[in-house]
Amino acid sequence: MSNIGRRDALPIPPTNAEVKNTVCQYCTVGCGYKVYTWPVGSQGGLAANQNAFGVDLRNPQNPLGGLVYTETMHSIVTRRDGRQYHVVIVPANDSPINYKRDHSSRGATNAIATWSDARATKERLKYPLLRLGDQFQVITWDEALTILAGVAKGIRDKDGNDDNIAVKAFDHGGSGAGFENNWGVGSLFFKGFSVKHIAIHNRPAYNSEVWGSRERGVHELNYDAIDARVADTIVLWGANPYETASVFYTEHMQPNIQGATLEEKQKNFSKGEPAEAGYLIVIDPRRISSLTIAETIAKERTLHLRPNLGTDYILANAIARVMWERKYYDQKFLQTRTDMAKFEEYKEKSLKAATPYAQFMADVERITGVKRADIEKAADWIAKPKAGGFARRTLTIYEKGIIWNMKNYDQVAAIVQMAVLGNNVGRAGTGCGRLGGHQEGYVRPSSPTPGSIYNGGPPVNVDKYLTDGKGKLYWVIGTNPYLSTPNSQYFRKRIRERTKALSDFLGQAGEPGPTQELVAKILEGLDATGGLFMVVQDLYLTHTAQDAHLVLPASAWGEANQTSVNCNSRLLRLYEKFMDPPGEAKQDWEICKLMGLKMAELYRAEGKEKEAARFEFGKNWRTDEDVFLDGGNSYPNNAIPASEEATLPAECYKGVTYAFLRQVGQQGIRTPVRIENGKPVGTLRRYSVKFGTKDGKFSWYATDDWEGYPAEVAKYLEGDMAQKYPFWMTTGRAQAVWQTMYNDRFLPEKTSLLPMPYVEISPQDAQRLGLKNGDLAQVWNEEGNATFVVMVTDSVSPGLIFTMMFHHLGSANNLTPGYTDPKTTIPWYKGTRVAIRKIRGSLPDLQDTTSFLQQNKFD
Amino acid sequence: MVLSRRRIVQVLGGVTMASLTGAGKAQFWFAPSLTYPAIKVGNVNSLKNNDPVYFNYPDARSQGILVKLGRPAIGGVGRDRDIVAFSAACTHMGCGVQYKGGRFLCPCHYTMFDPAKAAAVYQGLASTGLPQIQLGVAQNGDIFARAVNGLIWGRVKNI
Ligand code: SF4
Ligand code: FES
Repeated sequence: MSNIGRRDALPIPPTNAEVKNTVCQYCTVGCGYKVYTWPVGSQGGLAANQNAFGVDLRNPQNPLGGLVYTETMHSIVTRRDGRQYHVVIVPANDSPINYKRDHSSRGATNAIATWSDARATKERLKYPLLRLGDQFQVITWDEALTILAGVAKGIRDKDGNDDNIAVKAFDHGGSGAGFENNWGVGSLFFKGFSVKHIAIHNRPAYNSEVWGSRERGVHELNYDAIDARVADTIVLWGANPYETASVFYTEHMQPNIQGATLEEKQKNFSKGEPAEAGYLIVIDPRRISSLTIAETIAKERTLHLRPNLGTDYILANAIARVMWERKYYDQKFLQTRTDMAKFEEYKEKSLKAATPYAQFMADVERITGVKRADIEKAADWIAKPKAGGFARRTLTIYEKGIIWNMKNYDQVAAIVQMAVLGNNVGRAGTGCGRLGGHQEGYVRPSSPTPGSIYNGGPPVNVDKYLTDGKGKLYWVIGTNPYLSTPNSQYFRKRIRERTKALSDFLGQAGEPGPTQELVAKILEGLDATGGLFMVVQDLYLTHTAQDAHLVLPASAWGEANQTSVNCNSRLLRLYEKFMDPPGEAKQDWEICKLMGLKMAELYRAEGKEKEAARFEFGKNWRTDEDVFLDGGNSYPNNAIPASEEATLPAECYKGVTYAFLRQVGQQGIRTPVRIENGKPVGTLRRYSVKFGTKDGKFSWYATDDWEGYPAEVAKYLEGDMAQKYPFWMTTGRAQAVWQTMYNDRFLPEKTSLLPMPYVEISPQDAQRLGLKNGDLAQVWNEEGNATFVVMVTDSVSPGLIFTMMFHHLGSANNLTPGYTDPKTTIPWYKGTRVAIRKIRGSLPDLQDTTSFLQQNKFD
Repeated sequence: MVLSRRRIVQVLGGVTMASLTGAGKAQFWFAPSLTYPAIKVGNVNSLKNNDPVYFNYPDARSQGILVKLGRPAIGGVGRDRDIVAFSAACTHMGCGVQYKGGRFLCPCHYTMFDPAKAAAVYQGLASTGLPQIQLGVAQNGDIFARAVNGLIWGRVKNI
């Protein structure tokens, strides 16, 4: 009856089950989870004293608070001792993030996503693979690293530098990464090698998506989850938390909009300050579920602004201009906390204070498509003082709609400046930062890469470097650029061409058998063919890995101890190991350490002691904690008073140990951590006293004028091209799945819900093009093509379509432009022009088994 | 849905692993793995489209919803294969779902389930569809609940 296997009874952990604390491996929210493991063959009883939950299971649990243990929260795994163990992973009851054991459909599958040879996750990589005779053949770690180190050394010895070594690596928390693995990867490529041509997971370069905020003195993670519960107004700008940070919405925003947090507001507000149910402003081209749910709760307290794609920074400046006109600012705050010399420039160029208000607003209406009255209403909701003259408390949260917009730097800068103009950073109920996608765990040695255009940059576009035919070794770690990089169709074709050129060369007369001969032949082939030697280090044989020469199996979440922070509270916790990795899969830090030692061995054999020593960065790393502590020591002195917290890196955890984290459990500690009287103390909210600049003052910036669209997209707006590609396309995520679906693609619970990537189209356009729910459509432009299943919805307005960014059966990035912001090298993932057509015929099976009900309709 | 041979093999493959090794009291079988009562929950002739009927199943502490959708559904019974029943406890955190506008909607965190697609979660936070209550129809049109396909929220075992 169901299209997937269902359960009607689950095993009960016995009282002697091992209990571990962890945090969800998936999204930015970082919900707390508890893991119970015990050998198959026994189970606990129903009475509270007979099971490890300590919960009376004889009666049904109470809704909204009782034990949550659903069908996807159990699995059976095999450990290295050869025995089978039950694994139960349920939401924790003591987390300050996911109150009442809340969780999402993504986190609920943490258990079934564990590796097992008896389930769909048997696809996990176990052993290193080498392409030999154009097939993958299993080899040992020693052999794999000897080949890889031989190739890398051959390249750098010949060049005298590492310019031909290109890397694309994760830099996130959660998901099997965290501080340990980031420190490992960073140490290999920045301490051992000195790699300039490195890029961060989906992006084409090594950069920050928020330099526009950081260079103002505001790190993007500055608020706490509590601020969403006590804010007078929440602004969601290009962010859809209900679907991408679900529990942050349901436990921290929704109750505020429902008026269920008034007591908490009173506690955090000044005496006599009015507190009422929260207001929500959504700025997004779509009617996203985070908006339509709030409309269902209280339409009169929601506002939706739908700027034309790419014009958000103009809109942010316009809201700020209204605030300026209406004097919604605190002159004393501006004078004491911000750089007033730079403010004049901001006032002139961003707010255009010299342009008459009416004319300014008319220009803004024309550019953004947003009505003046709505802009003014937004300014009132964001910054108009409350009765009694109390400053309004507004929390502004932005995400991919902003950071992956065109002109990344200016978009981010305009929004944080709007927030700071209204004194909406550093107070309870305020803040201006990212929603976040994944969790964070960034700790790395300093890199040989530059900053934004204002700090020696912009960084090199490594995608372009490679597709232009440069680079010889390409090492991809924990990311799948064939799906996730912008303009991925072109990228994929070029990388395939270059990797195949090398394979063909090696295969001409059979690959040499002896290792050293193979290495020599690879080096010869790289010079002879302009080809690329590609190494992929990952959990699965990803789309990218399928074209690799060498594949290295990495371990995942739960297979080692790891640490990360979430984004909405910078809450650092220990994610405890509860199972073994498959086969010989290893932690990324360990792979990096071993590679370093192998390089050292080769250099030492040649008597090059100095080079050898560079690569021995990891020789003392034995445990996960060794790496964690080594990374932690790289942070600056943090024995400083609270008033100086702004000088610390946002994720500073110096002085924290695993023992400390075990002790605090789900309560964790909020970074940046300071040391007071020898003990680590956390930071609830940032920038209450100073901003993160040299002089502690907020550094204003004059944004560019509206200059239209970049050439890569503007080409579609002229003449014939405008007719040929009549739709704007934006892209994004779907609630049920995580990232590129690297785990989800193997889980029938997920693939049955989303068997294909989908496209949203308005009812008007659908009718005109003869498209119905469940039809297949091709979407294309000059960059690429992709096939989607159709969902008709009022989420998008006529003339705009929305496509799912990643799915293992296709990626919207086939169509995204190669454009990057010249100030940061951050791509515009979220907008281009396309054509769409119905694909003849239909797939009745797909239509019969998939739901096409409207996802944003809650009334 | 009709299980193809290949799919039966897959399903059994999963089961063997769990049941052979689950030598303790419980066997971890795919649903329905327990012995369920047969209880009359309605009659095909008295059901009106989109007018849900509530009943308790498999015991007094678990509410079910019976609804005639007016469109064919996975697991549907009746002439038009459009009569389906589900546990009414949201599989997210146990709130009672409402049948509204042709779908099930949970008022707590807005998970929505498609009744024609085995109550699959097409939006929201729940991790599984609502447990589907297997129905049978007698000659006289009486509809019987016969088993529950999926775990009722808040329980470790349906009965
Ligand atoms: S909201 Fe995010 S962190 Fe929480 S359970 Fe879902 S995916 Fe995991
Ligand atoms: S209890 Fe139903 S959506 Fe949360």
